[in-house]
Amino acid sequence: MIIEQGKTKDGSSYILIDKVSLIETLTSLKNEGYNYLVLMSAVDYKKYREVVYHLSSYNENKLIVVKVRPEDDTLPSATVLWDSANWFERELYDLMGIRFIGHPDLKRIFLPEGWVGHPLRKDYDMTKEQFVNMNDDGTDRVSFDPKDGW
Amino acid sequence: MSDSIFFTTLEELINWGRSNSVWPFTFGLACCAIEMMGTQGAHYDIGRFGSEIFRASPRQSDLMIVAGTVTKKMAPRVKRLYEQMASPRYVIAYGSCATSGGPYQGAYSVVMGVDKIIPVDVYVPGCPPTPEALIYAINKLQEKIRKGEAGR
Repeated sequence: MIIEQGKTKDGSSYILIDKVSLIETLTSLKNEGYNYLVLMSAVDYKKYREVVYHLSSYNENKLIVVKVRPEDDTLPSATVLWDSANWFERELYDLMGIRFIGHPDLKRIFLPEGWVGHPLRKDYDMTKEQFVNMNDDGTDRVSFDPKDGW
Repeated sequence: MSDSIFFTTLEELINWGRSNSVWPFTFGLACCAIEMMGTQGAHYDIGRFGSEIFRASPRQSDLMIVAGTVTKKMAPRVKRLYEQMASPRYVIAYGSCATSGGPYQGAYSVVMGVDKIIPVDVYVPGCPPTPEALIYAINKLQEKIRKGEAGR
């Protein structure tokens, strides 16, 4: 269901949809010719978070922006439609903490495993610095102790 | 005879030899590596100073040019690779990020300068520094090596 539609500041059209109809909407847009997932990103507006899908077409010069607000920070995964959504969703999970249901391998993509919090959230605690070190088997070790790691 | 014999100490001879064959380690961490590659290329040609052979293994290289941002995740790897290099080994911190953290001051994921991890011989500021700056840094490092002040 489309809640809102209009133009973004750069002139491309966008639709804001509800979470339940996300996969359905993306599927129908893909069938309409928007067959390329350009990028996925997320914005933290403090009251709510918003995940943004930019879809474009290889065949026609058209672009559409799909926005959705995940109330409890979960969304259905778009990896069923585009394989490229895999790493985008891992990035959003890593930095914004949005969990994608049905993702094949949802783990952090940039930060080491064991990192506390999701740094691009507005409520991330920047006062507590975290330090990374490496175990002998090559895995990462994260701690709040400045003597253990950098 | 007097123009065909000269005297030196063995140490000076060794330092002279070391200073003229500083083999860098292929160590590009971020965009500064592009300038480092430019320095190695035909136009600037770091090979004029004996440093043309970039080695892909820490075992075969003398100089680690830390070109780019050292993230916290990379920091333990930087230290391990430095420790794998054979002595004497030299380090150039290339660019603002490697010298002090640069534009990433206060970032949650960046180490504020590679000298927090390993000892640095020459710092090169700039974002990114020009290839001329890297050549100047290598010349400065060669001076230090000849004086016996660099290398661990």
